[in-house]
Amino acid sequence: MSGNEAFARGAFEAGIRFCYSYPGTPSTEITTAIMKEAESRGIYSEWSVNEKVALEAAAGASWAGLPAICPMKSLGLNVASDFLLNLNLSGSGHGGLVIIACDDPRGHSSSNEQDSRFYAKAASVPLLEPSSYQEAKDIVPLAVEISKTHEIPVIVRSTTRLSHSRGLVELGEINDRKWEKPLKLAGNLFNIPNPHLRHRDLLEKIDKIAEEFESNPFNRFQGPEEPDLLTISSGICQKYVDEALEIVNVQNSGRLGLVTAFPIPAGLVGRTIGEARDVLFVEETDPFLEIEIGALSTVKNFGGDSRLHGKQTGVVPSYGEMNVDKTVAALRNVLGIQPRTLDEDYESKVEKARQLLVPRALTFCAGCTHRNVYWAIQKVRERLGGNLIVAGDIGCYSLGVFYNESMHTMHAMGSGIGVANGLGQLERFGLDSKVIAVAGDSTFLHACVPALVNAKHKKADLTFLILDNSTTAMTGFQKHPGSADQDSGLERVSIERIVRAIEPDTVLVGDAVKIPSTVSQIEDAVQKPGLSVIILESICRLEEQKSGWIYDDLPKIVIDPEACLGEECRICVSEFNSMGLAWDSKLERPVTLEHVCTRCGACISVCPQRAIRRSRK
Amino acid sequence: MKSSFDIVVAGVGGQGNLVCGRILAEGAVRRNLRPVVGDTFGASRRGGAVLTHLRIGEFDMGPLIPRNQADLILGLEPLETLRAAVKFGRQDTVVIFSELKVDTADTLGGKTEYPDIDKMTEALESISGVVFRLDPKASLDKIGSSRVLNSYMIGALAGSGKTPLNPSELRGLVGETLKPKKTNISAFDAGLKCVSELMKSKGV
Repeated sequence: MSGNEAFARGAFEAGIRFCYSYPGTPSTEITTAIMKEAESRGIYSEWSVNEKVALEAAAGASWAGLPAICPMKSLGLNVASDFLLNLNLSGSGHGGLVIIACDDPRGHSSSNEQDSRFYAKAASVPLLEPSSYQEAKDIVPLAVEISKTHEIPVIVRSTTRLSHSRGLVELGEINDRKWEKPLKLAGNLFNIPNPHLRHRDLLEKIDKIAEEFESNPFNRFQGPEEPDLLTISSGICQKYVDEALEIVNVQNSGRLGLVTAFPIPAGLVGRTIGEARDVLFVEETDPFLEIEIGALSTVKNFGGDSRLHGKQTGVVPSYGEMNVDKTVAALRNVLGIQPRTLDEDYESKVEKARQLLVPRALTFCAGCTHRNVYWAIQKVRERLGGNLIVAGDIGCYSLGVFYNESMHTMHAMGSGIGVANGLGQLERFGLDSKVIAVAGDSTFLHACVPALVNAKHKKADLTFLILDNSTTAMTGFQKHPGSADQDSGLERVSIERIVRAIEPDTVLVGDAVKIPSTVSQIEDAVQKPGLSVIILESICRLEEQKSGWIYDDLPKIVIDPEACLGEECRICVSEFNSMGLAWDSKLERPVTLEHVCTRCGACISVCPQRAIRRSRK
Repeated sequence: MKSSFDIVVAGVGGQGNLVCGRILAEGAVRRNLRPVVGDTFGASRRGGAVLTHLRIGEFDMGPLIPRNQADLILGLEPLETLRAAVKFGRQDTVVIFSELKVDTADTLGGKTEYPDIDKMTEALESISGVVFRLDPKASLDKIGSSRVLNSYMIGALAGSGKTPLNPSELRGLVGETLKPKKTNISAFDAGLKCVSELMKSKGV
């Protein structure tokens, strides 16, 4: 099973009763896997509107005595952190509360690169970092136990390579955990008037947990009693170290794999470092263990004669994703071994081969209505002489930054409309540009409402486009409160009604399939002073195809060779970048790719020659 | 001495890359070996390249194959095969690839040219061990589906005899995992046959 499936299985074995989550790569599949079996296992699970609400709701369950789990991606924990740094003081009650935070080193599917472990330090809550699929499963019951015993939320940290890779896992028994009835809410669920005393209590808890971690069996040392070189690693990096030590063939080396990454079991670490000449830290993203253990070594007086190496000393790269190659290079560096040089003749052949490669850039799918909207934005920008700033947001439509730079900014969930709140006030300082903010439907509900209220209240001059495809497309089509089609027992919340209730100066509803009307709607809205909102009804073609939609009954898209200007124009393929069309260099004109084309007809309105048409049949 | 047999499956989104990795991993389990599979997910799948790393050993390896460590590259698409070979291949890597190209957004639009497949084959031969270039088009047309390329390629891998996996077990797994069973088994058999013939002609 994958790391994420292992976390889900661990949740079943831990007897979890509640799962609250918001989708985000690489964490999504944990909740998906729990949802598949939730009903049969008597678990309540939901896609919450955002991670903060998810964590707050999970705390409610835990306070009432039900074990709860809250999987989220790194950026989700940023959203939930406001609550986390209150919850740590008041405690998580007697149910048990586990947050699984999945970091994405290198930002394969993220807008940033961050190390979420610092939240455990900031909140003084325990942090566990499993290193394998087996540990991913086994850690969840341990995390629940720690949380229940000490009434403290526990963070389990994963990274993309653990979450999204798979290996063999030996299963344990499912815990059919019973809970006390009637449910009773824990007491003292607030920190005023003496939050500092709650802080004191929290630090006492964390000291006790540090003592327990001294003998935690997940922490493993392998090697001779007094190694010359000691590696300290956590998470998937433990595997990289195993392999790198084998490749470099280091004599008299030991490795300490720390699963209890916070609080650090200082006694264990101090004893293990002992008289080692060199200590190398290998961990994902930031020097978390390296800083913690470095500081502890001074306070607790261990490792005085050892040289500590890692990201702070430049031996390990301090950004990007770790791997075996980087670990090998670090080991060679520490040991003063020359890097192995490859055969020069071979290298030049590889270089020659590399020259042939062309990049395969990310792009909108065939028929994706986001492409239409950005095309429309570009047309409006041309008409405004280029004076149009677009503040973007998180979702598939983030690809707008690559689409002829249609979008200028892209940060956190909801930041598009937030940033536009600022830009929309800058006319008084001489900003000679109209401002558009773009967000998707799921993003709108997640984080855009406060900024939209602010824009209305402060009379910001901006146009807000909501690209509403009725699904959380980027992460695999999860339903959200605004989705048209809801599961039974759930009530739809209308995005349009929320928008209208805020009473922007203009509200328009448009159809993103139709480019000409989208262009004129956007053009009209940006010309008007004040706050305009356009809800553009959009379609996710992937979701459409997944639900069995076939386009064969629609008329085919054909190109009239007489009308097409050929090489002179090429707007449809080179500028609009239609994926359903390909350039045929022999015919010197575009041809339809029948197996890709969704027959949406967007390209028809893009062709200035009216050479693209629907066939009669 | 390497302690694992490392396979890279290289392709683009929608080619059944991930399922391919899973079938090969299950094949390793049948041999009492421990497979670890690393997939690429998320934004990388919106038209981008997809790589599956499969590491077969007696212990769990890390999910990523180190540079120049692949024993075999299974290429579902020529350009992505070369990209994988440049990064993960070495002098004796076995490369088995389909010559059916999948254009990039830029090559479709004619902004850049898709690299010449003969030149890419030459480059693969210059940096790898044995290279099997397959033309599945006729077989897939005959079977009547282009959606079974992954089964065809698993058949080719099985036929090469270059992995610790057992061909008849892989054939069984393709039938159990992929629907429709008959079409996928036909594709597997065609891939296996194609590689066997190439091996004869190459004398390997």
